[in-house]
Amino acid sequence: MTDGSVTHILDAINQPVSFEELLSPVAAAWDATREVVISLTPTPLERQPSAYVQTVWRERPRGEVSEVKVRALCNDSSVVLRLDWAAGEPRRSINDVNVYADGCAVLFPANGEAAELDTMGSPEKPVAAWHWRAGDEQPFSVTATGIGSVKRIVEHPIKVGARWGEGRWRVALGSPLPTDTVGLARGGAVPVAFAVWCGAADDRGGLKSYSQQFHQLRLQ
Amino acid sequence: MTAAATPSRQFAMVFDLNKCLGCQTCTIACKTQWTRGGGMAAMWWNIVNTIPGRGTPRDAFELGGGYRDGVPQAGELPGKRQWGEAWDFDYDKVFYDGNYGGNNYVKPREHDGAAPEWGPNWDEDMGAGEYPHSYFFYLPLVCMNCSKPACLEACPRDVIYRREEDGVVLVDEERCHGYRFCIEACPYKRIYFNEQRAIAQKCISCYPRLEKGVAPACVRQCPGRVRHVGFLDDVDSHIHKLVNDWKVALPLRPDFEVEPNVFYVPPTMPLAFDENGEFDDAASRMPLDELRLMFGPGVEHALAVIDAERQKVAAGGSSELMDILISRNWQDMLGPFPQDPGKLERPPPRNDATERRD
Repeated sequence: MTDGSVTHILDAINQPVSFEELLSPVAAAWDATREVVISLTPTPLERQPSAYVQTVWRERPRGEVSEVKVRALCNDSSVVLRLDWAAGEPRRSINDVNVYADGCAVLFPANGEAAELDTMGSPEKPVAAWHWRAGDEQPFSVTATGIGSVKRIVEHPIKVGARWGEGRWRVALGSPLPTDTVGLARGGAVPVAFAVWCGAADDRGGLKSYSQQFHQLRLQ
Repeated sequence: MTAAATPSRQFAMVFDLNKCLGCQTCTIACKTQWTRGGGMAAMWWNIVNTIPGRGTPRDAFELGGGYRDGVPQAGELPGKRQWGEAWDFDYDKVFYDGNYGGNNYVKPREHDGAAPEWGPNWDEDMGAGEYPHSYFFYLPLVCMNCSKPACLEACPRDVIYRREEDGVVLVDEERCHGYRFCIEACPYKRIYFNEQRAIAQKCISCYPRLEKGVAPACVRQCPGRVRHVGFLDDVDSHIHKLVNDWKVALPLRPDFEVEPNVFYVPPTMPLAFDENGEFDDAASRMPLDELRLMFGPGVEHALAVIDAERQKVAAGGSSELMDILISRNWQDMLGPFPQDPGKLERPPPRNDATERRD
């Protein structure tokens, strides 16, 4: 299914493999999981908080990645989501002033309650995300209470494994359980949303492809 | 992302282009003071370019940004070859491998070994015009601390701010996520990108020095006595007199609509010649259109005032304007920032061997 209005259930099957192995995006364990195809759309320009971005990006492309394939796995002490999307011209790092790196993020309501996705949460209903950017040694764990408010958490347990091949990124983002900012534990379920940045299209910050709505992540 | 708040006072600079030697002492003063850290090797927060010329980065003023009729203009992000990398030099090969002399000389190389294609003030002294009317001047550049800073308004994270006490525009490096909208939006291209830290960095007007009454390093170390500093609202200051009273200090490229707070005394240029080889007082070596583009419609008035005041002094009279521009006592140029930094209590000197991260 690629219908943007459908809420997908993403079941994280419990596998007796280590966290490190789950973080390998090509581990055999992923073959046994069900793939969910999430459709993505560009973030709304009118939500961008800068007049410069709102004006200039009327004429520029943004958020051109149209779907991301997602799988989930867990073991007794950790959960990992694997995002898989087309990237014909990968940007593996920020290696020039005018180069933007590819990236992806998995976003949750920070307190488990549905939060507004278009605004990246609000002061009352914050969101938390695991954010990977190609070329960085570590992923970021971030929180946000509205557009432009993303704050990186310095100490966090989020890990990543990423691989590009055959025109696609496969990125496994995971956290020990219970998760520190999301309130996700064994047997639980949380809303989850997705975003992808295409470096070749100069995506950055709020300019990205996103899932428009929350889906449901269930842990076995 | 929000409009810049109006500060209670505005720190400003006036650069007298008729005195700039293009010696880059200001550039090195800044480099030594601020941009020796990791990822900063190719940064020149202060740079002096030759005009006419393509600037630093290459074609700096042609890359968009700023506003037109109040509407933000799209800007381009130059790549590092366009800024100029911090080149490597083959010293070892020339000096230690028995190759010294002959046609061997120290050659600059980009990090991948390629010959450089651009760098700071790359087109030094090339200028324009045909002999005997060739012309150029030096244009020192720093952050303009604009009253309508396009960088600040472009940042979606409110990372850039204008200090309430002096209007100095700063980047909060701790919160910057390196999106680089600010670099696109700055029409002067005076913001650099630190690739290693993935953040934007720029001239900070030496604000820690200002706070101790010390003029910025580029100002204090200028051997040409080019740079005046002070507050625009101080009616007794050089700044106020040059900008507001005499109207001989003008904003750079006012068509960018960012209301910069660095002002320039435009270059008067050597006299032109007529067809008989005699001085032609009525002609200008540098086309007036180019001067108007650089400094706005006030440039003819400014040049006329400077010329008139010069002639007054040449005829034995006195001129407040000439006294200010000459600044026989160089500390008069420092306004409220005359403090000698050498007389301040300072932390122990850094050990460069451990502090340098490049």
